[in-house]
Amino acid sequence: MLEALIKIVVVIGAIMTAVAYFVLLERKIAAWVQDRKGPNRVGLPLTKVRLFGLGQPLADGVKMMLKEEYIPGHVDKALYVLAPISILAAALATFAVIPFGSVWPTDGGPIEFVVAPGFDAGLIYVFALSGIAVYGVILGGWASNNKYSFLGGLRSSAQLIAYEIPLSLGILGIVLTAGSLKLDAVITQQAETGMWNAFVQPLGFIVFLVAATAEAGRMPFDLPEAEQELIGGFHTEYSGMKLTMYAAAEFMHMITASFLIVILFLGGWHFWGLTGSGDQITWVTALIRVGVLCGKIFLVILGFMLVRWTLPRFRFDQLMALAWKVMLPLGMVNLVLVAAMVEYFPGAIVDRPLIVFLGMSGLTLVSLVSMAILAPLGSKQQPSTLDAEMT
Amino acid sequence: MFDSTLPIFLFVAVATLLPAGMLLAGRLVGPRRDTKVKEMPYESGMDPIHDTRRRFDIRFHLVAIAFLVFDVELLFLYPWAVASRGEAGGIDHAVNEMQWVECRDLVFAGVMLFVALLAAGFAYDWRKGVFKWR
Repeated sequence: MLEALIKIVVVIGAIMTAVAYFVLLERKIAAWVQDRKGPNRVGLPLTKVRLFGLGQPLADGVKMMLKEEYIPGHVDKALYVLAPISILAAALATFAVIPFGSVWPTDGGPIEFVVAPGFDAGLIYVFALSGIAVYGVILGGWASNNKYSFLGGLRSSAQLIAYEIPLSLGILGIVLTAGSLKLDAVITQQAETGMWNAFVQPLGFIVFLVAATAEAGRMPFDLPEAEQELIGGFHTEYSGMKLTMYAAAEFMHMITASFLIVILFLGGWHFWGLTGSGDQITWVTALIRVGVLCGKIFLVILGFMLVRWTLPRFRFDQLMALAWKVMLPLGMVNLVLVAAMVEYFPGAIVDRPLIVFLGMSGLTLVSLVSMAILAPLGSKQQPSTLDAEMT
Repeated sequence: MFDSTLPIFLFVAVATLLPAGMLLAGRLVGPRRDTKVKEMPYESGMDPIHDTRRRFDIRFHLVAIAFLVFDVELLFLYPWAVASRGEAGGIDHAVNEMQWVECRDLVFAGVMLFVALLAAGFAYDWRKGVFKWR
């Protein structure tokens, strides 16, 4: 009980701080991409020390707190307040099952780097909470009683639920190879075989990567807040602390997505020849494992941020078509491939890793090429010709 | 059982109290000034023409229904995925010791039939234009 409470406080504190500083990092990267300097003024409070703008998140937090906590007159008050609370609570609660490392050796037995160590249904839990995020979006959009919010909320919820299916197909392949719903078990399996799931099922990795980006509402899938079309999307009517909560929840979704990508597909804390794979470790190895995991997650988040300034936004019909007509069939192909491999060549990942890697990559290439030839997103599906078909 | 879920409940409680506390803090610290114009919906400076709660495109409903069907069907696959190579009480256990099914292949064939049905439903939806968005 006490151990769990300490872990909860540490995890929530770390996540909130990480969100604040990732916002700063995102602004810095945006600035570098656009050949600006970015936030560089705010440093230590009450002094003139600038410190590369590292005081900016603190100043932003204080500013948001001092803003008026305003509820417009035309909104549905209860739902309007409930929406940001539910989305932030769901985003935070996901971290209860996410491991931040492997174990820490103590005299009284190893302590696991996860808030709820014995919980068996970790992946289902993460999946269920990502469903609650949809509630936050659609409640906010509906309660605001504003046309921009309403359209933004509808769009976002359609996007989120559409991409939940490829997401769950991608996870299904992982559950098949790991034989468990525990995130720990997924990492252990990858560490023991030395084959990260991204090499065993590259197709699943691609599907999951795209779906996780869309679930986090990141570019090129940030339709929810297409500023040019929808002002602020579903949070047009929100301000002050409630807007901060939406923004924080959005960043947390990105961090969760990075954690899931790293843990499920990129080996978690495992790195060849550096971390070992067993449970009996010294504290040096434990630290290295935490370091490797954090490093990987930082790289994935950096990737998300660079993608934001590289790719243009999808049109909404393309977005929906990508989910249903490309990612869903690819996910199903991946499921069948992995199921066949696990069923008929159960030892192949350990015995013949190279053959598994080459075979699965080849099959991935074949599916991607055939998808490109079939071209469900091709010019025949453009809106103008669809109009002609309908008449 | 309860030992493993207690931290989850604690975490959810803390995660709900934190945003509530943030809102309360904002309310206590921030200023409050209501004006008539401020209470209006923000629609690019125009006076709103009518209420938002009107009819909207049926396609959003179609997406929601398609999502429900596919999501639930995928959830049916999770127990099989866990049991497929799970150590204790997996499919091997059901086949060799409990003799519930004759062989593993039968289970695999059943699941593949399920996936094929899913694919057939998917193809039907596609032909019917559920995923057509314009």
